[in-house]
Amino acid sequence: MRNSAPEKFKLGLFVVLGTALLVAALYFIGNRQNLFTKNITIYTHFRNVNGLQTGNNVRYSGINIGTVAKTVLLSDTLIRVEMRVGEKLKNVIKKNAVATIGSDGLVGSMIVNIIPAQGTAGFISSHDTIQSYSKIGVNDMLTTLNVTNENAALLTSDLLKITSNINEGKGTLGMLITDTVLASQFKQTLFELRKTSEGASQAMSSLNEMIASVNFSESLAGVLLSDTASGVKMKSIVANLEKSSEKMIQVTDHLNHLLSEIEEGKGTLHYLTQDTTLVQNIDSTMQNIKSGTARFNENMEALKHNFLLRGYFKKLEKEQRKALKKADQN
Amino acid sequence: MNATFKISSKVNLFFTEVGDVTFFAIRFFKQVFTRPFETKEFLRQCYLMGNRSLLLVGVTGFILGLVFTLQSRPTLMEFGAQSWMPSMISISIVREIGPVITALICAGRIGSGIGAELGSMRVTEQIDAMEVSGTNPFKYLVVTRILATTLMLPLLIIFGDAIALVGSAIVENLKGAVSFQLYFNQVFEALAFSDIIPATVKSFFFGFAIGLIGCYKGYNCNKGTVGVGEASNAAVVYTSMLLFVIDFIAVFVSDIFFEI
Amino acid sequence: MKTMIKEEPVLELKNLYKHFGNNKVLNGFNLQLYKGENLVVMGKSGSGKSVMIKCLVGLMQADGGSIRIKGQDITSLGQRELDLLRTEIGFLFQGSALYDSMTVRENLYFPLRRHAHIMGREEEAEKWIREALANVGLEHAIDLMPDELSGGMKRRVALARALILKPKIMLYDEPTTGLDPITAKEIIQLMRAIQKTYGTSSLIITHDVDCARVISNRMILLVDGVNYAEGTFQELTQSSDPKIKAFFK
Repeated sequence: MRNSAPEKFKLGLFVVLGTALLVAALYFIGNRQNLFTKNITIYTHFRNVNGLQTGNNVRYSGINIGTVAKTVLLSDTLIRVEMRVGEKLKNVIKKNAVATIGSDGLVGSMIVNIIPAQGTAGFISSHDTIQSYSKIGVNDMLTTLNVTNENAALLTSDLLKITSNINEGKGTLGMLITDTVLASQFKQTLFELRKTSEGASQAMSSLNEMIASVNFSESLAGVLLSDTASGVKMKSIVANLEKSSEKMIQVTDHLNHLLSEIEEGKGTLHYLTQDTTLVQNIDSTMQNIKSGTARFNENMEALKHNFLLRGYFKKLEKEQRKALKKADQN
Repeated sequence: MNATFKISSKVNLFFTEVGDVTFFAIRFFKQVFTRPFETKEFLRQCYLMGNRSLLLVGVTGFILGLVFTLQSRPTLMEFGAQSWMPSMISISIVREIGPVITALICAGRIGSGIGAELGSMRVTEQIDAMEVSGTNPFKYLVVTRILATTLMLPLLIIFGDAIALVGSAIVENLKGAVSFQLYFNQVFEALAFSDIIPATVKSFFFGFAIGLIGCYKGYNCNKGTVGVGEASNAAVVYTSMLLFVIDFIAVFVSDIFFEI
Repeated sequence: MKTMIKEEPVLELKNLYKHFGNNKVLNGFNLQLYKGENLVVMGKSGSGKSVMIKCLVGLMQADGGSIRIKGQDITSLGQRELDLLRTEIGFLFQGSALYDSMTVRENLYFPLRRHAHIMGREEEAEKWIREALANVGLEHAIDLMPDELSGGMKRRVALARALILKPKIMLYDEPTTGLDPITAKEIIQLMRAIQKTYGTSSLIITHDVDCARVISNRMILLVDGVNYAEGTFQELTQSSDPKIKAFFK
């Protein structure tokens, strides 16, 4: 008697629509968490999961395929990550695939990347464990690079001092030639510089190798880089680094050559006539080294700002500051 | 001396009121499951509260989503993180802003309406008339209304959330050239069960609070026509306060259960 | 029930007490209503007439004393029995108390909805509603809302609603307040007509002397919470007691 039919209809519509909205939302969320599809569980082990949480995405070559179901601390250095991925992936992922941990975008949450590896292997099945790769290796490499860079900068400043001495040299090249202490110092410096440059070059080439393999997209680091879409940038940084260190080696060779010539005393007169040219030469060489090092530094700086490694450098800085503080307190 | 007396009597009054409301709620729970059920009146109240509030909730939700997105954009753009807009907006709307704003609007519309309606029914003896007509007025008026608000508010909140997200998507679409599909993909990427479920559970309590306080104030109204105004006003004020208390507790509890 | 002895009151209040804090509203009030009579209770505003009538139908709990309706003590009744007993009592409220949100038809249907056993079948409801409205001469208003009715019409609809279950006892709480004298007279005529048609016993609470004169068979004056004086209208107007005289000035 009270409720008219249109009212009832409208109320029914309201209730059904509202409930449908809620169910749809729940469905979409559940769908993302693969609650409604058939899943298989696969495992991998890490030493450090960098804050990976239950529910974080699992990607296979960049495509979302599932979520992290659980992270379990097995021992003091081993964490098992349980991942739930769609059953369909059973015929895609191979047993030798490798899992890495990365971050999703600039400030994004952590993700697990599964990367196909070279070689043949069978397809995975449920409860398989796949290999993992930790990006700590990259960090180590960059530490070496940084030390090399600092050394180079130190040596360059040493060299600069010497050349300016030569330049000022109060006009006398003889002083330089006769001053054995200075000469041996100079020689030593050059030797160190060469060693450093070589070290840098080595590190560079190993980094480069890694970068090069990006092209084949078969290496882990390759995916690591391409995953964050800054591989190209990183590659160019490394190329720059390499160029700088090559130049440094060149310059050092040049200097070495000159020095040995001086030491051997190849015609004093010749040098006397060449005096200014030589000094100018050395001077410009030094300038080159300086600019080379500066660029190297710049590149290192750029690397530091690369978000992938930022955390690492920040930590380094913090530690340095801590050490300084300690020194201050003492 | 006088001041302390005043304070103690205020405190006394507060606890008396809380106790009274609690008894009122207990009475509701005792009667809600016993026959006879006032189904028709319940459905009518559902219609009045649900459908009739939908426009208000929809418009407010839409504007809320619009404005919220417009206001947050510059800040996120400063960080170059405008691609996080959908996630941020959806989580804050679904978790907090949607339920609370919708509940506050309903406290204003439904809560005060109940307070005024029952209040005027009380002072014009309509409630007494029901009683002598053999209809339990508590069942007919209070139980149906509390039940209706409790069940309708979650639905209204879901509609409000959805419409707010549509509003936000429109802004993103126009200003940031984000397609609707991408927007909602990201929304569901960001949302988790731990966002929707606590918010929905919470909204049942919001609805219950709105119905309970509105009915309590109206049903116990007793100072003539002035009392009706007071009842309707007090219903809104106390409900709004209670909503925030419930919200606080809900966040606290869901924190424990979902480890947000 | 029709075989009931004339002497036994259909409604009896004994020693009724009701206090609000320190305000002793009813202080040992006694009343007997016999079958077929019109009993008027007069008293000043705030003298406790409304409280008394509300205690009578169980809308308020008395602090002491007994209330017997048709031999049953209502304070000892459960909700179900009380509801059943209430179907035999019609109550006309002071301000009509029509349900604002319902049409006249729905207002009249309201007492029927829980008492289908009285009218037999649900389908009879419309017939009953129309009959009750015909009794008060308002059949045309069946689909109107209460706020579309005048004060007098509202009172008549309220009367129809109180009568719809054909009660044996009618309680009127200030039936003429808020009405102009002509409308008030109409209502009183209606009350008398109903009393004749259905043979109800009526308890009328009023402070309207005209009303009391026209309708009363017997009167009780309520002063200071007790039945101060009792008698016919004639007897009371001739009293020399200043307190009684004050009522009829």
